[in-house]
Amino acid sequence: MHARAMDDYTAVIAMLNHTWFGAELSPETQERLAKLGELQDFEADEVILHEGDDAREMGILISGRLALRTLVPERGPVTILSVEQGDIFGWSAVLADTQAQSTVVATQPSRALVIDGAKLRAALKEDHALAASLYPRVLKAVARRLRATRLQLLDLFAR
Amino acid sequence: MITSPAPSQTAVARQWFLARADLDALIEAIRETGRRVIGPTIRESAIVYDEIQTAADLPAGWRDEQSAGRYRLERRSDDHVFGYTVGPTSWKRFTFPPNLTIATAHRSSFGFEQQVADAPPVAFLGVRACELAALAVQDRVFLGSQFTDEDYRARRAAAFIVAVQCTTCSSTCFCTSMGTGPEVRGGYDIMLTEIEEGFVIQAGSPGGAAIVAKLPTRRPSHAEAGAAVDNVESVRTQMGEPLPMAGIGERLKLQLDHPRWGQVADRCVECGSCTMVCPTCFCTSVVEKSDLDGKTSSTERQWDSCFDVAFAKVAGGDFRARPRDRYRQWLTHKFSTWWDQFESSGCVGCGRCIAWCPVRIDIREELAAIAPPIPPVVHPVAVAPVAASPGTYSVARLASVRAETEDTTTLSLTDLDPAFLAGRPGQFVMVALPAFPAVPISISRFRADHIDLTIRAVGPTSTALVNLHPGAKVGLRGPLGTFWPIEEAYGRHAVVVAGGVGLSPLHGLVDALAANHDRFESVSLFYGSRTPEDQLFRDDLAAWSAGKAIDVAVTVDRAGPEWKGRVGVVTTLFDMISWDCSKVTAFVVGPERMMQSSVQGLISKGVPADRICVSMERHMECGIGLCGHCQMAGRFVCKDGPVFRLDELGDMFNREGI
Repeated sequence: MHARAMDDYTAVIAMLNHTWFGAELSPETQERLAKLGELQDFEADEVILHEGDDAREMGILISGRLALRTLVPERGPVTILSVEQGDIFGWSAVLADTQAQSTVVATQPSRALVIDGAKLRAALKEDHALAASLYPRVLKAVARRLRATRLQLLDLFAR
Repeated sequence: MITSPAPSQTAVARQWFLARADLDALIEAIRETGRRVIGPTIRESAIVYDEIQTAADLPAGWRDEQSAGRYRLERRSDDHVFGYTVGPTSWKRFTFPPNLTIATAHRSSFGFEQQVADAPPVAFLGVRACELAALAVQDRVFLGSQFTDEDYRARRAAAFIVAVQCTTCSSTCFCTSMGTGPEVRGGYDIMLTEIEEGFVIQAGSPGGAAIVAKLPTRRPSHAEAGAAVDNVESVRTQMGEPLPMAGIGERLKLQLDHPRWGQVADRCVECGSCTMVCPTCFCTSVVEKSDLDGKTSSTERQWDSCFDVAFAKVAGGDFRARPRDRYRQWLTHKFSTWWDQFESSGCVGCGRCIAWCPVRIDIREELAAIAPPIPPVVHPVAVAPVAASPGTYSVARLASVRAETEDTTTLSLTDLDPAFLAGRPGQFVMVALPAFPAVPISISRFRADHIDLTIRAVGPTSTALVNLHPGAKVGLRGPLGTFWPIEEAYGRHAVVVAGGVGLSPLHGLVDALAANHDRFESVSLFYGSRTPEDQLFRDDLAAWSAGKAIDVAVTVDRAGPEWKGRVGVVTTLFDMISWDCSKVTAFVVGPERMMQSSVQGLISKGVPADRICVSMERHMECGIGLCGHCQMAGRFVCKDGPVFRLDELGDMFNREGI
């Protein structure tokens, strides 16, 4: 993991505008997130979060691809979903005292805006405008994932 | 609208010969009628139109060598006077001057005075066919509607036209494509065609006839009259095949978002040169000029250009802020919207904008790239199937067997009845082996003398089929059913959505889309399978991905850590769609639930329901709509399908138990 100095919020906001998650956030929220977060670059195969660890940060994937993996006894790690550019990961961090539901691994060199969960929760608590802007987007991201998971559960291609 | 009087039959028929040495007599005869003569003359290394006194002012023995961004004068090997094509000036300079005072205003007495058109008689000597067409275009603009330009009317009426048929052409000329030349078809008082020793001359109006009558002419010999015709005809040959201009107006309207607008705008330096040299461009701006004492001001009209950054500006902003907007405005106006406004093209094919573009933009190339001709759409008809009746089979030989996945195999069949090779992507065959019931199998691929059937071993017949060895014989009936309406996606974004073994009935379609990819706005394949190991046609997917014809995106529902690609259901790939979905035609095959989700996803993105095609699966036994098994509401899937447009199915598509 390679942390970068956050000296240019404008560049981060421009990056957010290229993500489906970030593009529809209000300019104020984009700026707030840019200031709260930290741009991080991940190398291929770098593990970002371990399943079961405290969900300590949420990320918005600016570029690259991440895999969400779950360990299945006797089958090893199974990739259940890939996080594509513009999507979020580690969303459990908006809730206090939760654990990561899966291991997050970069499958190719990736860049994300990573926001510390505690800082984010504190900001959401005190800044209702931020909360009003961010929560629906997180909910939408979770709903998309839920819908996709339902289809996956149907195992459409099974015989 | 002003047009010169139609020549009488006698005038048209009567041709004369005027020796080159006697050209001065023509100029003098015109000048004697009180007209200034404007004609071609050399200034600053170019042939321009300006006042001439005698034939010595004309560019005898010169030719112009022109190509994109290039104009050079060169010596001819003869002394032809009109042995060049067109230079940077056009006649609009004299009928529609670059600067014109149209009114004056006086503050002291508070009054506005319109400038009265002052158009002394003039003669234009050396007007080419494309230039006559350009004058006719400006006639329609300035005189063809309720509001007219009286200054133009006066100047146009004052002009006596001596036309010259082209006997040479430049690489920039394309009058034959625009239907304006090289032969002159009217609108002149006198017409000249240059031949070896002089000119074949004919009058096109009583005024023209009166001048011709004064000249030292004689009747041309048969050879001279023939040479005049041949010289003009040779220009047509030199210009080559006309550009495919049919439907160019509509073709351009369909391409307003083409990426080429941005690319050509990156090259364009927006000098406006093309609009200045264009013989039909008519945009102007009006400026007020005041005397120093502030008591009198004049209103001046000046040529303007739609390439000017301020041309579409208003107080609140700029309607065509980007260079690409301005280039698109110019080109679409010339070739498309001009028709809407003036019922003609705004381009006459003179090629000036090509030669005088400093960065060598050639509108012919841009038109070909942005709005290529749409080949005529031929809607294919299904070939008559062979062995249509159940129980009768045409025998084919198994040429090769290829395992696709653990349970899916592709059989390549040959020694076929030609009907199978003439089948269309989306159709299926009934396949039988002795002692096994026939099963319907989609034709996954059409080759020169093979068809491929991709079969998942799920029952006794399919299991027996996948265990055959090359050389084995199989019984076939078909090809049966409907096929993918590929032609309906011409000019649109073709999107193929495949799930699992659903790629099999789509393989032939993808091949056809790839082979004709330039007929589509774009071609995309979205393919989802259960795991990476369940992907069909992995070599073909790799080849399609490597080629430029198709954008391929694949995803799997789940994968081990070795898989670096996307994981998620196929509908998550729709996030990648960035284009205007109203221009999408989609072809979808997979398990029915997957098709429902995909269709829902596509419609929510804006894809019209009547632009989505699906291939339905039902129990098929006879394949010809007689056994009743595959009935789906009012349709037999085997005969009326398996390929349906979504609107044909209506709410049957998403209904349980149909």
